[in-house]
Amino acid sequence: MNKRLVAALGTVVLGGAVIAGLGTYVASAKNDSRVLAATPAGTMETPQGKLPHYTLEMAAYPDSMAGSHGKDGGVHADWVTYGPVTNFQVPAHSAITITIKQYDSGARLNNDFFATVHGTIDGTATINGVAVKSVDPEAVGHTFTVHGLADAKSSLFVSVPLPAVPDEKLPPTGYTTNPTTVTFTFITGDAGDYVWNCEYPCGDGTTARFGGPMSTQGYMAGNFHVVNA
Amino acid sequence: MTTVLDHPTSAPGNSAMKRPLIERLNVFTAFGLGIISAIVFWYLARTFLPENTEGSFIKTRLDAVTIIAMLGWFFGFMTGIGALIGPFRWLLGKDLDHDESMFYAGKDQGIKRYFRYTTDHKVVGIQYLVITIIIFFVGGTLAMLIRMNLGHAGGGWLQPQTYNAIVGTHGIVMIVGTIIMITGPFGNFIMPIMIGARDMAFPRLNALSFWLIVAAIPPMLSSFFFGGISTGWSAYAPLASQAPPGMDGYIMFIVIFAISTMVAGANITTTVVKMRAKGMTWNRTPIFIYGVVASVALALPVFPLFFLSQVMSAMDRAVGSTFYDVRGGGSGWLYENLFWIMGHPEVYVILIPAVAALMEMAPVFTRRPLFSFNTAIMGIAGISGLSILVWAHHMYVTGWAPLLNGPFMLTTELISIPTGMLFLVLIGTLWRGRLWMTMPTASIYALLWNFMIGGITGIYLSDVPVDGALHGSMFVTAHFHYTLMGAGLTGALASLVFWFPKMTGRMFDRRLSWIAFWLVQIGFNVAFIGMFLVGLAGQPRRVDAYAALFNQGNSVTTMAAYSIMAGMLVLLYGVISSWTNGAIAPMNPWFAKTLDWTVPNPVPLENFEVLPVVTSDPYGYGKAQS
Ligand code: HEM
Ligand SMILES: [Cu+2]
Ligand SMILES: [Cu+2]
Repeated sequence: MNKRLVAALGTVVLGGAVIAGLGTYVASAKNDSRVLAATPAGTMETPQGKLPHYTLEMAAYPDSMAGSHGKDGGVHADWVTYGPVTNFQVPAHSAITITIKQYDSGARLNNDFFATVHGTIDGTATINGVAVKSVDPEAVGHTFTVHGLADAKSSLFVSVPLPAVPDEKLPPTGYTTNPTTVTFTFITGDAGDYVWNCEYPCGDGTTARFGGPMSTQGYMAGNFHVVNA
Repeated sequence: MTTVLDHPTSAPGNSAMKRPLIERLNVFTAFGLGIISAIVFWYLARTFLPENTEGSFIKTRLDAVTIIAMLGWFFGFMTGIGALIGPFRWLLGKDLDHDESMFYAGKDQGIKRYFRYTTDHKVVGIQYLVITIIIFFVGGTLAMLIRMNLGHAGGGWLQPQTYNAIVGTHGIVMIVGTIIMITGPFGNFIMPIMIGARDMAFPRLNALSFWLIVAAIPPMLSSFFFGGISTGWSAYAPLASQAPPGMDGYIMFIVIFAISTMVAGANITTTVVKMRAKGMTWNRTPIFIYGVVASVALALPVFPLFFLSQVMSAMDRAVGSTFYDVRGGGSGWLYENLFWIMGHPEVYVILIPAVAALMEMAPVFTRRPLFSFNTAIMGIAGISGLSILVWAHHMYVTGWAPLLNGPFMLTTELISIPTGMLFLVLIGTLWRGRLWMTMPTASIYALLWNFMIGGITGIYLSDVPVDGALHGSMFVTAHFHYTLMGAGLTGALASLVFWFPKMTGRMFDRRLSWIAFWLVQIGFNVAFIGMFLVGLAGQPRRVDAYAALFNQGNSVTTMAAYSIMAGMLVLLYGVISSWTNGAIAPMNPWFAKTLDWTVPNPVPLENFEVLPVVTSDPYGYGKAQS
């Protein structure tokens, strides 16, 4: 073959390699891909009949000293974060009970919609043992909001507010020993990949407080996989 | 003037002991001084600027420090390249003498003149060509990262904020690349020769406009390390006011680039108005010249607004003014208006020279006169005039002045009339011509096809109710890629192949030009038709993840994007290999009739030994040959 054509092909390969290398480098900056799978907990009586039951436990922290960022808090020790990780996996067509320990303070939501519980059985969540349908939008710490269209057919939307821990209950250093416990149960549909994020602007001050941890997976957002059991 | 040619090479070198300052400055001293002065400014700002006021809703200190450091870079770089020597000497009342001017023009300096503040328009043209290639390489790499992330549903390959930064930077880098891609290399190298002039009207401003662009790029690229620009290329306030310090890099980039554009615009306009060869009446002035002048003349009144919009954005961030902040009496609509009053004319700043360049080539490759020269000029003038009256079609859904939506819809749709004239001229010239099939010839067809799709989808978008559904979707992204890339870039790549022989003295490898053409054009059409489809189905633009129902269109687009990438890399290799050892080009390889083809290769320093006199229009190919 003509020498020039070979060299041109070489340029294409070289250029592709540059882009692949750069891409790998940029993509590697994302947080760990560890996934927490739900734990089986027998069966549960639901409005859709008797379904397999699974549980997940997680927490919302005022900084990154807990969660998956390591002992020193990682690159952004002061960012708010969910923990222990931010990617979750649950079985399809099952009842899922999630328990979240909320350690953080908070303030006003941008949108009251997220002060209401959506997508759970009965539309309720229990907060420190009390069943509620919504909380005060003036004092929300974070929300746990799963959403998305996995494909053209199935969709999932579950959103639960985590009330703020009142300032007077927050110790000057360290975490409160008395976090708010939020529990809710919902039913999954077909398998699919969804995302979840927090809808309370708890970011780092940039982009109307939707920047930093709010725009970075591994803090206030992550993946939510529904898989066939 | 031949005395200039024979002038003994006395100036550089005769005082080897102590080389004057002007000879010691180059791109390396510029980068060195720029970096040092950025660090010094940064340190001083950090030390002396007051802390943020406790409790105030705007935190300005970090941005003030960032902007001051970037200003330090800018002043250091421009000093280091030698931009201040001329003005300084002028202030002292001792302007440059003849030898110094000759040094500035790059006489007898070989390759070194490309790394200096050289005033020869041909050197500046080559410099622009190289910087355009670099800009497209950077922008293209970012584009491929975008497409890789969008290769499958759900996102997650790049962080959302990283993704947004990449999209925004790709956008603005490519916009700047397309703005300069024709008026920069070909407007500088070819245009003065084409009108029979020895140089530009203001050679030093020419060097200034180029080196300003070089100074502008590092602040932009640095933004990746300071949180990036999460706003898209249009940097709407108040989102921009809240963005991390990376935004300051964007602001600096635009501010410096806008100065460069204004300087270049004044220079090119003056050159064409004042320095055309004897006998080159407006009727005998080639259409490419009209395209270049329309482009820069359109940029002249609107780029100051772009400049201003960013200065105000910088002030909102760094000194707590509230031009765009409702809490302080400002308005986000102010930004949007300033931006789009620049933004829409700017798209024609990009388009017009590309179409005009292809109009210049059409007669050459069909061997017949340009079909209706006057229609072409009316088209260019009509587009330029109307383009400053349509900006709010970008703002239909923002809620600003709903009563004006109708009138803006009307002006926008009226643009299709002068646009149609340009189509008519190209088609009329091709009609029944005997075609000489080269890559530039094929590019004329590609432009007609791509710009038809781009223009018609533009008319959809200008329809207020339709835009309500399509605004903010990938449909818009596909529309403007059809115009900017399908039409604009196609014209620029054809110009590269067409004028390569004059600029480098070598022919562009024919086979490589064809391979690149097909890879780019096929890849482009597949990629962006796919994007139209997902846009119509509702996929939003500037979002890192999408639902599975958009899978198909996106994977098609991503695969086709690799074809574009391959084509552009083949072209890049074609440039390098043809430049270094392509076939030696004859003086007039295309047998064209404009003045640029009457000068020998390499073009002598002062272009013409004897200034030409023009006696006819440049399209006298007659009917005999066809
Ligand atoms: C017949 C001619 C054209 C018409 C009627 C037209 C109309 C429009 C309209 C209404 C929009 C706004 C869409 C929206 O944001 O919802 C738009 C966007 C855009 N158009 Fe065109 N257009 C035309 C030609 C062009 C040309 C020739 C170019 C460039 C060379 C161009 C570049 C753009 C760009 C860059 C945007 C998007 C800006 C952004 O939001 O990022 N258009 N066009
Ligand atoms: Cu949060
Ligand atoms: Cu427009």
